[in-house]
Amino acid sequence: MPSKKSQLKKQLVAYSFIAPNFIGFAVFTMVPIIFAIALSFLHWDGSNPMSWAGVSNFVDLFDDDQFKASLKNTIVYSLGTVPLTLICSLFLAVILNQGIKARNFFRTVSFFPYVASLVAVAAVWNMIFNPSKGPVNMMLYKLGFSSVPGWAADKNWAMITIILFSVWKYMGYYMIIYLAGLQGINPELYEAANLDGTNVWQRFRFVTIPQLSATTFFVLVMLTIQCFKVYDIVYMVTQAGPGTATLVLVYDIYNKAFISWNLGSASAVAIVLFLLVLIVTLVQFNGEKRFTN
Amino acid sequence: MKKVLTIVLVLSLLMGAVFANGTKEAAPAQAGVTTLKWALWDIASTTYYEPLITAYEAAHPDIKIEMLDLGSADFMTMLQTQLSGGDSSIDVVTIKDIPGYNNLVKRNLLLNLNDKIASEGVDLSLYGGTTDQISVDGKLYGIPFRSDFWLVYYNKDLFDKAGVAYPTNDMTFAQYDALARKMTSGMGADKVYGAHYHTWRSAVQLFGILDGKHTIVDGTYDFLKPYYEMVLGEQKDGIVQDYATLKTSSTHYSGVFYNNSVAMMNMGSWFIATLINQVAQGNTEVKNWGLVKYPHAEGVTPGTTLGTITSLGVSNASKKKDAAFDFVKFVTGPEGAQIVAKTGTIPAIKNEGVIQIIASKPGFPTDSASRDALQVAKTYLEMPLHEKSAEIEVVLNQVHDEIMTNNISIDAGIAKMNEQVQKILAK
Amino acid sequence: MQVQNKNSKPIALLLYTLLVISALAMLLPFVWMLSASLKLDKDVFTFPIQWIPANPRWENYSEIWTMIPLLTFIKNTAKLTIIVTFLQLLTSSFAAYAFAKLHFKGRDVLFLGYVATIAMPWQAYMVPQFLMMRSFHLNNTHLAIIFLQAFSAFGVFLMRQFYMSVPDELCEAARIDGMSEYGIYAKIMLPLSVPALSTLTIFTFVNTWNDFLGPLLYLTRTELKTIQIGLRMFIGQYSSEYGLIMAASVVALIPVVIVFLSLQRFFVQGVATAGLKG
Repeated sequence: MPSKKSQLKKQLVAYSFIAPNFIGFAVFTMVPIIFAIALSFLHWDGSNPMSWAGVSNFVDLFDDDQFKASLKNTIVYSLGTVPLTLICSLFLAVILNQGIKARNFFRTVSFFPYVASLVAVAAVWNMIFNPSKGPVNMMLYKLGFSSVPGWAADKNWAMITIILFSVWKYMGYYMIIYLAGLQGINPELYEAANLDGTNVWQRFRFVTIPQLSATTFFVLVMLTIQCFKVYDIVYMVTQAGPGTATLVLVYDIYNKAFISWNLGSASAVAIVLFLLVLIVTLVQFNGEKRFTN
Repeated sequence: MKKVLTIVLVLSLLMGAVFANGTKEAAPAQAGVTTLKWALWDIASTTYYEPLITAYEAAHPDIKIEMLDLGSADFMTMLQTQLSGGDSSIDVVTIKDIPGYNNLVKRNLLLNLNDKIASEGVDLSLYGGTTDQISVDGKLYGIPFRSDFWLVYYNKDLFDKAGVAYPTNDMTFAQYDALARKMTSGMGADKVYGAHYHTWRSAVQLFGILDGKHTIVDGTYDFLKPYYEMVLGEQKDGIVQDYATLKTSSTHYSGVFYNNSVAMMNMGSWFIATLINQVAQGNTEVKNWGLVKYPHAEGVTPGTTLGTITSLGVSNASKKKDAAFDFVKFVTGPEGAQIVAKTGTIPAIKNEGVIQIIASKPGFPTDSASRDALQVAKTYLEMPLHEKSAEIEVVLNQVHDEIMTNNISIDAGIAKMNEQVQKILAK
Repeated sequence: MQVQNKNSKPIALLLYTLLVISALAMLLPFVWMLSASLKLDKDVFTFPIQWIPANPRWENYSEIWTMIPLLTFIKNTAKLTIIVTFLQLLTSSFAAYAFAKLHFKGRDVLFLGYVATIAMPWQAYMVPQFLMMRSFHLNNTHLAIIFLQAFSAFGVFLMRQFYMSVPDELCEAARIDGMSEYGIYAKIMLPLSVPALSTLTIFTFVNTWNDFLGPLLYLTRTELKTIQIGLRMFIGQYSSEYGLIMAASVVALIPVVIVFLSLQRFFVQGVATAGLKG
């Protein structure tokens, strides 16, 4: 049995590891966030004295068309983007972890949509998917489709366009995380599996996937958060349109905070977003624990 | 491991070096000199800031004006964040739009200028009524220094080539529509569009308010129907470029006009200076262009148009309010107007002399109609001052986008505007 | 997972075809940037896309240096990026070790708290944060951006996940040998996590390099501004100089690509022995 003193020492050692990051983090991020949470119960325009709002900021959301549209759109967006990006990036990472020719080239290229300026990426995307003159629709016409999608200009297709764009842009980013994760897998596991006469798929299913579970948890959580917080992409590709077809939560937060200067109301939407992500993360966190134990 | 250590070492050395010079502060201000900070946007591409400041500093050696560039795209957001919580570092504030002005006033961030205007004898009658339009309960929080209005730009060469008479300063909407249809020709790379509407809501929707019977914050929008019908009809018939294509390809209106692909384009007067410069530098295919007044509804005086004003105000938290106001007075006053006009920009004081300066700028069209087009009969603000203008604008922009992309019918779109704006007004 | 097998030749072919197609799709924006950077503004958005400009306008690349103080901006951005990346790597990997391999009170709650804050959109706490920073007189200093970026929860989360996949037995054995926790971190975990550290370096580097709204809000004095603000200087209210924006974007992209290329070789560490080659 370790003595109480050594227990305490262990705890202190652990805290000393965390402290450098945590202190900076707590002061510069945590405190403002707590302030923002408090704001959701207040009326404040950032200048005049605050006044108590109780839960009225939240109650008002029930009758807020902008909020309702953005909540629905954000959920649809996340449901589409998370699984697609996860699968594509894992697939890409596994392929680019092989000893294939020009591997470095392909890896670098996959990262391009993420690092290239968003202005350029969005411009290219919008030109390629331009409803009347873009090459994609030209090709569809030639293939004999009589009606082609309006992509970003059609309210039924705009969200799909944004989802495809996001997958394309973020695939390389998560591929990197998976690539790094793949390096951590003990090669002996594959050798053992090889001796057992397994095929490619079995090795992928029973060695790679379980070994990557910590990475996948990370990717899942980060992707979910990223999707719930999407803003830049929407701003560049559709400006939340047509109408409110791609209006997302952070867009609504921006409008409430910086167009109307209704910081309490903006915070209330942020809290809703925060709680949604927290629930999803908790579910995934429990899943991870069960998976790794 | 050794390598990692070396990298760490190098990095920490670098850090030390940069930190050392990063903490250096700017030299303290000279004794006896008051420095005023002016919040504005686009220093590099705006030509009138420097001459205004030079002229003012020459007359007031004890004042130094420092510019604070907050960028144009997010200007009002950045400005309002900087002013939050009573910071005194900004003295003079440029106000870019009316919803933003309304917010600044509501948030108590701007100084009420009434007393100063009275004591310093500022003549508000010079501003052609614009100061009344931005008074809140009789109090004025900013003085206009730029006053842009909408005109129709046209490509003379295209009209000559088609053998069609130029547009005139007295066009009804029906005549304008017919002319646009007449000027449309060609296919593919040779296609000439009769008219062009940029993707801003104001370029199309605000035709509806020019008869003075309705405003855009009314809460009922049935009066917009004929104008949407006209524009969507032109779009359907290929008279104007498709809104959806323009928007998704982020087409800038200037490129369209430069490339000889549109015969007429309605746009704000801010484009005059840019157009003159670009044509002079040979960056455009269009060589000869002209200006005419905005088209008007039946029975409305020609020269009735839309306007936007840019104003200057004094921050409520400034510690140098008197000096700041004096600078505002100079920039917005007759002297400032002269300087602004010399750069081809329309100042808020639009008297005969100012129009003369702009019209005689080299590169400005030489025909008399273009000069007369600068005479405005009546200007309606793109967004009138209203307590809820920011929120109303969000809704109007969304529904406009839906109508123009044919995602909703005109009637259903108008019904949606009516419903949602009335909800905002009732709150 | 062997592609060199005789019977897997068609699969390899299919794989390469897929790779080449996706590589083309991913390269498009970059090619477009290059081509736009050699055009006049009016030609940038013309249809159909002119991939090779008829009259390449090389002046765009010389003009960007004189029209805005681009060199100063690059220096500022480089300084910020290096400091932030360094601090981020150091503090995150340190904290992550405790979250992954040590047991202490409140570990899970604290960790969840970290992760949860990532979910808070910056727009929601931008104003309180700005007011706080200004009350510390950090407004218009590079320190503001450093503090904003360097202690992110993201880095801790990323590193923790990689440490999780390192077997606990390794640490246990070292502890029995009498190694301190700090020793285990420095001598066992750090060398093992080179791929993860490379990943974090790339991400932090790219994020800080491309950050826009933070610098825009906090750095209003020209001599402090960063390259992304510089890029926006070409986007004016009434006209946008896209040719120049893209030329500057291409210049701004070079350091990121260099960092990526020089770090990506660390992604092959484990594979060198056998890895997935089987």
